[in-house]
Amino acid sequence: MISEQRFWNPVLETLDHEKIRKLQFEKFKKIFVWAYERSRFHRGLYEKAGIKPADIQSFEDIRRIPTVEKSMMRGIQRKDPFPYGDALCVPLEEVSEFRQTSGTTGQPVYQADTWQDWEWWAECWAYILWAQGYRPNDRVFIPFGYNVFVAFWAGHYAAEKIGAEVVPGGVLDTQARILKIQELKCTAMMATPTYVLGMADAAKSMGIDPRSLGISKITCAGEPGASIPSTKKRMEEAWNAKVYDHAGATEIGAWCFECKTQSGGLHINEAFFLVEIQDIDTGEYIVEPGRRGKIIITALDRQAQPCIRFDSKDIAEWSPGKCPCGRTFRLINGGVVGRADDITKVKGVLLAPSAIEEVVRSIDGLSDEFEVIVDKAGDIDLITLKVEILKNREGERKQIEAKLKDQLRLKTNLGYNIEFHDYRSLTRYEVKAKRFKDLRKK
Amino acid sequence: MAENNDIKKLDGKIQSMKKTAEELKLMGEDFPALNRNISRILASIKMLELNISDLTAV
Repeated sequence: MISEQRFWNPVLETLDHEKIRKLQFEKFKKIFVWAYERSRFHRGLYEKAGIKPADIQSFEDIRRIPTVEKSMMRGIQRKDPFPYGDALCVPLEEVSEFRQTSGTTGQPVYQADTWQDWEWWAECWAYILWAQGYRPNDRVFIPFGYNVFVAFWAGHYAAEKIGAEVVPGGVLDTQARILKIQELKCTAMMATPTYVLGMADAAKSMGIDPRSLGISKITCAGEPGASIPSTKKRMEEAWNAKVYDHAGATEIGAWCFECKTQSGGLHINEAFFLVEIQDIDTGEYIVEPGRRGKIIITALDRQAQPCIRFDSKDIAEWSPGKCPCGRTFRLINGGVVGRADDITKVKGVLLAPSAIEEVVRSIDGLSDEFEVIVDKAGDIDLITLKVEILKNREGERKQIEAKLKDQLRLKTNLGYNIEFHDYRSLTRYEVKAKRFKDLRKK
Repeated sequence: MAENNDIKKLDGKIQSMKKTAEELKLMGEDFPALNRNISRILASIKMLELNISDLTAV
């Protein structure tokens, strides 16, 4: 029975790592030539660095190839061939899909895909869904606004591809989505961690226990929450479901995923992507586990607008162990732990917003929502953390505050001004949350 | 688990399917329903190549 098969691709996913590396190298050379011959942007970049396709003889040579940053893509767009500019490698008439980045870090970047690229997107997601236990008998509810952002589009196509039944939650509001899940007895769902928690909260306000809805697995994207243990625990308890993480991006593709084993890491799809981890300060390439760096990534098969040595700004570290699931695709430990441009210095200490999330969500008596504001009083940095206390826990405010401060000091090495707010008074987000505000950058 | 010989055999079938699809595409230059559907089939065949044929190189 195909449904009993553990791997989407039983050969590639268990391939000896030496062979995976060989495959990656051969594919890298091909995509490099493809871009060199077709994209004026890429050719210009490589000629400036004095690198030709014939120069790539080893992985060491790959590291000499200049990286591409999002800002560079912004610079070439809105020009001919409109609107993608010089990085487009196919005639415009072969482009069948437009998407754009969410614009969280600046002006959105446009992404062109051919139908083959779009098949590839769905293929990347098919690896993810199969590894997370999605099967043809699943009825998958997808509650996102189907629009210009890639979000769960490819998840939708992949669910179809693996043979599951897809229920598009599109323009329905949260209440209507919950009722539809209930009516259709959906078994799985895909959403951002923020929305997974928000939907559970909304269901409770409607008098419906989300645990009774029958959702057995949830795939998250867009935020790191599903790899933050306390947030994952809240989601799993709220829905009585397994919650799985994956990481992807509009310009890259869906490049890593948590499998059913939930071993604490995310598998990189190394048959489709080449991932390098680079020390942010020294530029040194990190091969050993336990040392964090930023991810430089190549999508080995994406053609219309190639992604070659893209500086993703995602922070990760190699995992020391192998996953018991049997996949030989390497793991990154604890998923994507943050973004290089999110990590900021406060009072001289490096602060990652995900560390605050981990603490807030681990404290019993606080709601899922919070907000962090960093400001200056004269020359001194001040951090204000706004949290909501649950209605029936008001009497424990002092104990909760003390525990919160202790844990924050322990995990982030910083002191905070804690503000308690009424339950449901902080902003609720439906897609990607913006809970961290640095007012020093005004 | 597929062995090396199985991969080669599978790849042979995939290449044969690709050749047929490419021939049909050439025959469909003035036949949109044929041409565009074959283009989609070729994209799916590419996914078979990524999953199976590429393995013949390693």
